[in-house]
Amino acid sequence: MGSRASTLLREEEIEEIKKETGFSHSQITRLYSRFTSLDKGENGTLSREDFQRIPELAINPLGDRIINAFFPEGEDQVNFRGFMRTLAHFRPIEDNEKNKNSSASEPLNSRTNKLLFAFRLYDLDRDDKISRDELLQVLEKVDVEQKMSIRFLH
Amino acid sequence: MSGSLCVKVRASPGRTSTLASRTILQLQNPAPEDSHHQTNSTHHKKAFPVLSFNFDHVRKPFEISLWILLALLMKLGFHIIPRVSHVVPESCLLIVVGLLVGGIIKAFDEDAPVQMLDSKFFFLYLLPPIILDAGYFLPMRPFTENLGTILVFAVVGTLWNAFFIGLTMYGVCQIEAVKLGRVDLLSCLLFGSIVSAVDPVAVLAVFEEIHINELLHILVFGESLLNDAVTVVLYHLFTEFSHKGTVTVADAFLGVVSFFVVSLGGILIGAIYGIIGAFTSRFTSHSRVIEPLFVFLYSYMAYLSAEVFHLSGIMSLIACGVVMRPYVEANISHKSYTTIKYFLKMWSSVSETLIFIFLGVSTVAQPHPWNWTFVVVTVVVCFVSRVLGVVSLTYIINKFRIVKLTKKDQFIVAYGGLRGAIAFSLGFLLPDNEMKQLFLTAIITVIFYTVFVQGMTIRPLVELLAVKKKKESKGSINEEIHTQFLDHLLTGIEDICGHYGHHHWKDKLNRFNKAYVKKWLITGERSTEPQLISFYNKMEMKQAMMLVESGSAAKLPTIMTPVSMQNIQPKEPLKRRAIPSISKSREQEIRKMLRGNLQKTRQRLRSYSRHDLMVDPFEEDVSEVRLRKQRVEMERRVSSNSAANKQSQPWISKQQLGKDNNIP
Repeated sequence: MGSRASTLLREEEIEEIKKETGFSHSQITRLYSRFTSLDKGENGTLSREDFQRIPELAINPLGDRIINAFFPEGEDQVNFRGFMRTLAHFRPIEDNEKNKNSSASEPLNSRTNKLLFAFRLYDLDRDDKISRDELLQVLEKVDVEQKMSIRFLH
Repeated sequence: MSGSLCVKVRASPGRTSTLASRTILQLQNPAPEDSHHQTNSTHHKKAFPVLSFNFDHVRKPFEISLWILLALLMKLGFHIIPRVSHVVPESCLLIVVGLLVGGIIKAFDEDAPVQMLDSKFFFLYLLPPIILDAGYFLPMRPFTENLGTILVFAVVGTLWNAFFIGLTMYGVCQIEAVKLGRVDLLSCLLFGSIVSAVDPVAVLAVFEEIHINELLHILVFGESLLNDAVTVVLYHLFTEFSHKGTVTVADAFLGVVSFFVVSLGGILIGAIYGIIGAFTSRFTSHSRVIEPLFVFLYSYMAYLSAEVFHLSGIMSLIACGVVMRPYVEANISHKSYTTIKYFLKMWSSVSETLIFIFLGVSTVAQPHPWNWTFVVVTVVVCFVSRVLGVVSLTYIINKFRIVKLTKKDQFIVAYGGLRGAIAFSLGFLLPDNEMKQLFLTAIITVIFYTVFVQGMTIRPLVELLAVKKKKESKGSINEEIHTQFLDHLLTGIEDICGHYGHHHWKDKLNRFNKAYVKKWLITGERSTEPQLISFYNKMEMKQAMMLVESGSAAKLPTIMTPVSMQNIQPKEPLKRRAIPSISKSREQEIRKMLRGNLQKTRQRLRSYSRHDLMVDPFEEDVSEVRLRKQRVEMERRVSSNSAANKQSQPWISKQQLGKDNNIP
């Protein structure tokens, strides 16, 4: 899981991440190099301080919330799997994925999951205080599929 | 085999010279009048002329006014006959009117000089208002989001069209049977470059009436605006080459360089004038009346300056409007803003009408050497090359787009490639040679085909294909907040990935704008004012004026228009750490406004429509005001019975009728 300070990502890991998130091989490698460059402590995980070191994030009004979104409940470190899992929400939806029937687990960048992610961003203290219906209805109009997608470089 | 449609006409330059000579005559020879006077006083044979007829004195302005009046009356007339205007787009009707008028003038007097679409008149007076109107009100967000696609269509697409048409026509002319062997390659390429460009006037005229969705509208329209640079370069290039006779590699290379110079130079000139205009508007607080003039004149100067250097005037004009607008609007008074809006719409409307009518008139006024093969092949080849170009470019572009262009979209883009008056005027400017008339005939045929056939059928086709129409729903401030929220979110994620994408640069530009530019170009305190508050103030003033006009004593809750809120967070801001700090009182103000007004309200600029001026709360009918007041009263009665923390809704949309929102 990259607990040692190794810069090599093993093939099986890449395969697993690919299956889970849908990123391509080159994208995963590139994001891994970004991950390691952010990881100043070289312990294979990122802490909140690592994120806060990114200069542009500091002046982003939503910086804190975004950083929080990476860390699962109660934890202070995020490993590469978790990093990728969060970023997977922002992958553009491919056409052939749209036609998939609702299987056991929806892909991470499905419409619902994108909305869930955005919802959690609003709900900082995670106690569901926002009126959920209203939020979903509004975000429906705002083209979520397009707006919450970044074209990751190949 | 080839018939010819010959109509006798006196060349139009003659008209101005006869007028000039007549005026000179009058100045130089006052003698006849003198003698007339003398005969009067000495003989008393003729009485003092109480009424005399001197038409030549006012001939020119009279004719111009008459033409404009005719155009406007026609425009009125079309809307009184509802059935026709549903089927036939206005542009077609206007061309038909032009044809009729030209025909009538011809019928009356064989030799009468017909006012033609003089190229200089067209490029200097008729075209700029339309382009300025388009550029000033260009919806920036969809434009910048699709800029890559638009540029590819505009540049690569037009180049492809020009070369494909030119080469095909050359090939056709080589065929013995056509008897057009005299046409050389360069003339054909020149012809191709003139005919290839999609025309903004025609596109605007037709697309306005079919109300397709924003994306397609901005794609076709943006393409028609940006391809001006390509057209200018190609036109001058091939004209120069025709003169010189030979083309070297160095010349071709210079052609490519000149493309960049033309487009970037045009944009630069426009931006400079825009900044100067914005700066000037900073000081106009004491003479509000002349504010609109600054906007118009600076833009026009930008256009003319670009034309002086043979740069792209259209791009310059658009750059000027786009750059100037946010700052000017922050500086000028509300009345000036309204004036600018109305004047631009008015001028562009008149220009457009005149252009189409003159197009019709000029058709009648020309001798038309008719060569079936050439003309028909031109029309077919234009269509084919457009379709091929769009399809292949879309295939490439879709690899880079998140929202792909579907086949339906491609069809509309291809079908919406209308040619118009710019092509005609450029053809008119061609040096007089034997091919000019033939080319003009072909150009006119293509224009007629695209405007009539494609223009008329595009509406039923849009219905048939169920293309997405313009969103009719009124936006809400909620939506605006979330859009901004997502922008910040995506910028943050891009920064985490180290990916310098679209959002990253947009964010950087916004910060630069806020930090440096706004201080210089916006008066006094407004430069540091969060946009939210400035728009709130504007809206409050409109409210107050509306109240006074409707003469009511009941207090209307304030209507908020959604505004781009760069630094306002939807919930309480957690840390002030690096966010530009607002004073405590300001923050209170903002929070109060958000709490009270986070409802569905009118959005200021939803989509771009030329014929109906953008709906403005300020311009609403008194009856609507009354209706709204009634609703408000009802709501207040309802809400006064419910819990204390429920808010009253100033504006109820159909979906939310009956629902109340809980705002923490």
